[in-house]
Amino acid sequence: MTLPGLRVIEVAARIVPSRRRDEWRREWEGETAYAWQRMNRRGPPPVLSRARLRLRVLTCIIDALLEKKEEVRMSGFPNDLRYAVRGLMRSPGFALVAILTLALGIGANTAVFTLVDGVLIRPLPFEEPGQLLSIRHSGREGRDALPMSDGLYLLYQREVSSLESIALYRSTEMNMVAGDAPERVQGQVVTPSFFDVLRAQPVMGRSFLPEESQPGAEEVTILSDGLWKRAFGSDPAILGKTVDLNGRLTRIVGVMPPAFGYPNRDPQFWVPYTVDPAQAYLASFRAAGIARMAPGASVEGVLGELQSLIRRLDELFPESGDPAFLASVGLRARVQPLNEVLVGDVSTILWVLLGTVGFVLLIACANVANLLLVRAETRQRELALRLAMGAGRMEIIRFFMSESVVLAACGGALGAMSSSWAIGVSRLFIPVGFPRMAEVGVDLRVLAFTGLISLACAVFFGLFPLVRYGTRELASTLKDGGGWGATGSRARHRLRNALVVVQVAMALVLLVGAGLMFRSFQALRALDPGYDVDGVVTARVSVPSAEIQDPAETAEFWRQLRLRLEGQTGVVSVGMAQRAPLNGAIAFTTVSLADQPRGPDDQDIFAHWMSVNPGYLETLRIGIREGRALAAGDGAAGTRAVVVSESFARHWWPDSSPIGRQVGGDPENGEDWWEIVGVAADVHHLSLEDAPEEMIYYPPTIGPTESPGSVRTMDVLIRTAGSPIQFVPVLRRELQALNPRIPISNPRTMQEVLDLAMAPTSFTMTMLGAASGIALLLGLVGIYGVISYVVSQRTREIGVRMAMGATSPAVRRMVVQQGLALVVAGVILGLAGAGALSSVMASLLFGVSAMDPVTYGGVSLALIAVSTMASWIPALRAAGVDPSRALRED
Amino acid sequence: MGKLFTLTYPTAAVLLAIRQGHRYGFDVMDATGLPDGTVYPILRRLERRGVLEGAWEEAEKARSENRPPRRYYRLTPLGEASMEEVLQRFPVLVKVFGEPGTETA
Repeated sequence: MTLPGLRVIEVAARIVPSRRRDEWRREWEGETAYAWQRMNRRGPPPVLSRARLRLRVLTCIIDALLEKKEEVRMSGFPNDLRYAVRGLMRSPGFALVAILTLALGIGANTAVFTLVDGVLIRPLPFEEPGQLLSIRHSGREGRDALPMSDGLYLLYQREVSSLESIALYRSTEMNMVAGDAPERVQGQVVTPSFFDVLRAQPVMGRSFLPEESQPGAEEVTILSDGLWKRAFGSDPAILGKTVDLNGRLTRIVGVMPPAFGYPNRDPQFWVPYTVDPAQAYLASFRAAGIARMAPGASVEGVLGELQSLIRRLDELFPESGDPAFLASVGLRARVQPLNEVLVGDVSTILWVLLGTVGFVLLIACANVANLLLVRAETRQRELALRLAMGAGRMEIIRFFMSESVVLAACGGALGAMSSSWAIGVSRLFIPVGFPRMAEVGVDLRVLAFTGLISLACAVFFGLFPLVRYGTRELASTLKDGGGWGATGSRARHRLRNALVVVQVAMALVLLVGAGLMFRSFQALRALDPGYDVDGVVTARVSVPSAEIQDPAETAEFWRQLRLRLEGQTGVVSVGMAQRAPLNGAIAFTTVSLADQPRGPDDQDIFAHWMSVNPGYLETLRIGIREGRALAAGDGAAGTRAVVVSESFARHWWPDSSPIGRQVGGDPENGEDWWEIVGVAADVHHLSLEDAPEEMIYYPPTIGPTESPGSVRTMDVLIRTAGSPIQFVPVLRRELQALNPRIPISNPRTMQEVLDLAMAPTSFTMTMLGAASGIALLLGLVGIYGVISYVVSQRTREIGVRMAMGATSPAVRRMVVQQGLALVVAGVILGLAGAGALSSVMASLLFGVSAMDPVTYGGVSLALIAVSTMASWIPALRAAGVDPSRALRED
Repeated sequence: MGKLFTLTYPTAAVLLAIRQGHRYGFDVMDATGLPDGTVYPILRRLERRGVLEGAWEEAEKARSENRPPRRYYRLTPLGEASMEEVLQRFPVLVKVFGEPGTETA
């Protein structure tokens, strides 16, 4: 009878690391044999004893498994890593290229992930941010954005049970006098509940009391940490002191912590928003709304409650005319999680960018995988040696993987380091107003992400040689006596070729993306905004009522300022408007037309409007299509003259001239009509992407609502003969001379304003351009590498061909064709991919379709052209093969 | 001195058994009564820590008995030193295996 359990020991021994295997097996055999011998001393042992011995021998599997585990834990992998490092140091060129390629891919991904994480993923820096909502409204099926009105605020605050708290806020700028010079400071007007909604507490002092938002309350303010430090020298006894805001002494009651702010950290101070229940109009949408949901409430629940209130407005406010007006525009509530509103359109840009750099990383990995495949071939002998020494499957996997891990780790570390630099660089391109940029930074989460993608890379490209050199196959090949046959070589090429095809395809997808963005940018550039920004500088000037109370005096101030500026040498003309183009929101209202009265069921007529001074249209060179521009004296002297934009005129008088026709704000309430004296060219006032607004330009002193107050804030525009920015000091000086307590804010050239409006598009274009440039470069390296390799492998064959009479051009053609075949396959695959993916980008595009044939065609041709060049170099080498030498080789 | 190993009951039992002269793996299993699957892992660990050392019995002896040689374990000086703790912490075990020096052949 043979030894029981011998077979088990034999099987288990295979698990044991080869180094220890023999001794291990002999030990178990020795014990088992001894025990068996003892058992048989007095005749055949009982069944039970035999079974017990068998069971005992069976436990050798546990022993073997633990041995294996120990091996892996202790000596195995670190050893392999050390070995891999030594191996890589012996081929520094390969290591450097691979690591740099990976660092590029990983660094780009880390940088973009940092943005995505900071802007999109990380919750807002407030307590229970998931409960925060934005409350807005829209009218006319979403065509009008109507934020919040005081009346609706009071109503919601009182009636909506699914809201824990609701607040209004509005940004403001005030003239602050803390030292000698007045300063224009950004702040926010907020209801006291603003701090409750965000659950934020001042670090010093208190937040606003409910009575401080009542009319007639004492003027109080809360400072930001930044303003407290900058303007008040971190005065620890600041509470209770006063500061001059817009000419009013305002008591400081609190200081907020450093990182506080919504929607960004720009506001430097907060003052109470006065809600006067007696004048809380439902339809005056002048503030933004945020709210905190009650525990257990849902966005849909809140929306449902608001909608049912809106439907009951007429019964809730029977006295007011507002419900009828709101019903006529089809007022609807818009409730959205706060983070979605805050991030808005940017999320598309960021996801597209992340996808883009993800592609770059894949291409980088494909390149490294290709390099590793070549390297694996040169390491055959080493591999054979290991196999001969009894290396198992696991050891071979580790043999390949250890090098990948070292490469990925180095690439990852370098990438992480360079990513913070990349973020710094990309900050230069990131448009102003990009949300949450203050929160963006490299932290543990980002580093964890980097670690994860590095690991994924290592596994990804480490697997390629394994797929290729399955250990069994390799072992059999070696037994065959080495020498790769023709078929083996073809299989090997197939994998590398596939990698190159995929690389080219991915590069094409990115190039198409970048191409589409470039075309959008071109279209924006080519777009005529309707005005000429060249040589124009702009700055905002505000006259606080505490400084000049009387409307007539205010009008006189503007007139004086204009005259003083016009008197300067180099000034061509001076314009003033409530808002310069692309410089912020402008008023939007219903208007009446004398010759087109509206019935009760008719849709109201809406138009944007603003007050401009007579020089405005001239200064921006906005063309007059018909009639005349506003002139001095219009408005003020009882001449009720307005200019309308071309689109407004065309909309309402498609077949006749609007000159002499009458428009009005609210004639039923006793407002007089205004006479149209001119038609101005259309202007892209709010955004370049949207259609030009239908505009009415009023003279400065009085708007369409006959408000007795004059316009207090104007964007001053100066057209100059020289360099426009040099006129900012001139403006400052003249203003000082008129009234030293009135500062200017936001001085910029109009060219800067225009560039800023294009910034999101140019940012996306720059980023996609950079990414696809890298992708293209990596793809070309891949093509070059593969073709070079093929040429070196086929040297002998080429030699034979040339000996048989093939000419150099024929050989060149053959090699280039081979490269071209890969590229064309990649391009076809890439076109399909780009077609499928580019719809994601549709919202980022302007003036170009996501399927733009010019972009697709142009990019494909360009890619084919440069790829052909990449295979040209190895082709030249092939054509230079000396047949006699090639044939003698190997 | 850092801890060489965590002194659990099975570890102590294995050490005592070896000091008593149960020097082969299967003998340790029989002497300690520990589950068969636990003894070898303990032996391996103690050997790696330098508490035990393994050696092959003389080939001559095995051949004379017509069987392959066995591998036995003995305490290293380090192992001897650590016995003190074993005796202190597991006095009950000492009763089971007897006092040192009363080796059973």
